[in-house]
This record gives sequence, C-alpha cells and structure tokens, in this order.
Amino acid sequence: MTERTITLCYRKLIDASATRPWDKLVFAATYREFCLQAQYFNQEKRYHSLAELLQHAPGAAQLPFLVSGAVRGYLQQLNGQVPDVADNLGRLFLKFTQFQFNLLASDVLDQARHQVAINFYSEPLVWHDTVGPYLLVSAPPGTATAGEIPTRLFQIQPYLSIHSLQATG
Amino acid sequence: MERKHFLKSLLAGVASAPVLLAACGKEDSVTPTTITATTTGTTSGSGSCTVVPTETEGPFPTHTPSSYVRADITDGKAGYKLTATLTVTNSNSSCTALTGVLVDIWHCDAEGNYSEYGGSGTQSTNYTAVHFLRGRQTTDANGQVVFTSIFPGWYSGRATHIHVHVYTASGTSLKVTQIAFPEGTGTAVAAVGGYAKGLTGYTSNKSDNVFSDDTAGVQLASVTGSTSAGFQLAFTLAVPA
Repeated sequence: MTERTITLCYRKLIDASATRPWDKLVFAATYREFCLQAQYFNQEKRYHSLAELLQHAPGAAQLPFLVSGAVRGYLQQLNGQVPDVADNLGRLFLKFTQFQFNLLASDVLDQARHQVAINFYSEPLVWHDTVGPYLLVSAPPGTATAGEIPTRLFQIQPYLSIHSLQATG
Repeated sequence: MERKHFLKSLLAGVASAPVLLAACGKEDSVTPTTITATTTGTTSGSGSCTVVPTETEGPFPTHTPSSYVRADITDGKAGYKLTATLTVTNSNSSCTALTGVLVDIWHCDAEGNYSEYGGSGTQSTNYTAVHFLRGRQTTDANGQVVFTSIFPGWYSGRATHIHVHVYTASGTSLKVTQIAFPEGTGTAVAAVGGYAKGLTGYTSNKSDNVFSDDTAGVQLASVTGSTSAGFQLAFTLAVPA
C-alpha cells in the first residue's frame, strides 16, 4: 500500500448530558459566556435562542468566535492531546494544535438546550497499512530514520474522521 | 424544506449524537472490554467497540476563567502603548463607585482589524492563538479597572473608539457603550496619525454615526501622553445598577 500522510478530525460534542469533569466545565463555561455575549446582540431582549439570534440579530454570527474565548483555557489543559480517542491499547495518542469551536444550540433561558462541539484537528500521521478495521500509523519522521519506528493501531470510530490526505509514497 | 424545519431536523440529529458517544465511551477506565457494539449505522466495517482509554486522564481539569479575563490585552499586537483606566459608577446611587461589576472592552488593532478568525466559521485555528485586544476585568473598590493595550487604529466609516460592555457580577448586562477619543491639533489621535494608513478618509466624531449625537461629550475620554511614553486614557461611565 502507498504510504499516505493523513490528519484526523475528532468532533467532540458537549451538551447537558456531559458527565466527565472537563466536559462539564466546558459546558458551564461556554454557556455562561454565551449568556454574557448574547446580550450585546440582544439589547432589547427580544430573543432567547441561538437560532433566533442568528436569524434576526445583526452580527450574532460572531457569537461562536466570542464564546470560544471561554474554551481556550480548557484546551490548554489538554496539553495538546486530543481527548477520548484511544489507540487499540487504550492510550490517547493524537496530538493537536488546531481546533474549531461550534456553537450548535443554546438558549439564554434554558441551559439544557446548550450544545457545543469542538473539532480537534490532529497533527499529521503516516498511514502505513490497514489491519482489519484498524489503521496502522506513526508520527512522521522528523529526520530520516532507519530501522524500526513506533506505530499505533487504532480504529475509526463515531465522530472521528480522516480530515486530509496526502500521498507520500 | 423550510429553514425552521431544516434547523429542527439538524438539532434533532445533533441531540441524538451523544447516545452514540455514551455507547462507546467509558468515563472511567477499566480493562479493555468486549461489549457487543450497539452502534447503528454510523460506523462502517465491523462496528465493533473501540477500546476505552486506560490512561489516567491528564491533570485533573480545573475551573479556568474565560481567556478574556486579563489586564494586558495586547497579545503582541504592535502599536503605541495605551493604558485605559475605566471607572464605573452607579447612576441610581449618587454616582458612587460600583464595585465587583464586570467590564468587557474590545477594540481594533493598529490596522483597524478586530480579532475574529474565519468570518465564515469554517476555518480552524490554533488553540494558543488569542482573542487579541479583548479583555474582561472586575471593578475594584474604587469602581476601577485598568487595561494595558495599544492605541486603536481606525477603519472606514468610524472614528477611533473602544467598545465597552458592563455586566453585573452575575452577568446581567448593565450598559453597552463606546468610548470616543478627543480629536484635532495636539490630541493623541493627531499624534498617532492613524498609524500606517494615515488619516485620509478618517471619520470625525461629529460625523460618526455613534458619537455624532453626543454633543455633551459624555462618551469622550480624557487621553494624555505621547507616542514615545505611551498614552493614558481615563473614562468614567455611570450605569444604572
């Protein structure tokens, strides 16, 4: 098989059903920031849902960007490690620096309707082979290395996708 | 399909998503499991479960304030230093200082651009990148906050300005306003000269659609200093609290 360099995208959805500590903190922080920032676009208090704001309030399309300010500190706590996605030995292995924050739904009157997504874009990986349902990958060699290289075996799972591909062979 | 219904169907799709995650994610690591997968439709191939993380989850997550909470909002942006001291008073209480309220400020950089990545929202961004020239602080016992920033540039159609949003400690909006800068000979605006783009086409306060009605100068800050030593901006705003 031709070796290819891929990047992965893991889309992490966070809503009111979040149970992990990090997820719950992100949920609460982004909801609070939404409630703060939404008021700028809703000074007559005519709207309460994100959908209404996006449809009627000029400039409200900035809200995802503005709310993302609440999430950056939490991303830094991850130390560049994509959460949740483990290799077949159960180890987190994906590194990221790029992310994209999405505000999916929210409502200033109902926290339960708040939903966000964080897309984590992984650092490049070399895709060597496919073993059954698993992809065999390794970090791209920094310098030309001879002999064996450490690899990871992982499975494409829900909300994990190949984001980009480049033939290297 | 009507937009409303389309949105609804979109939300319904999103709402059902966490079930799938819950089905294959385990909060606490145990030994690798061989649960029969119940994922339907979304995975191709065998559809078998993914091994759960067996590592301890990093440092325990801690509450982190919004990245806006800081005194220096410069973020490496080039420009003449500006120290902005804002004092918030209560117009419902003889203009006494308001302690413990949140003050957001934001303004454009020397070229006249605001921080906002990918206007279309389709672009990813580096998580260490910053929301430059945006900040939030809580007023002290004197009702004051002090921000360190750069002197704002300008853009077509607007006079030099800084946006301000004041909230109660619990986050309820008290006031949205903008701070205007004195202009004309000898002022900071003249000294900065609009930075690289000059002042040709600059909108003066009296032609500005936000400040033109402020004949009493309520939105006008006091600005002193020089390009070499930096500028000091002082502004007091009374809000009904």
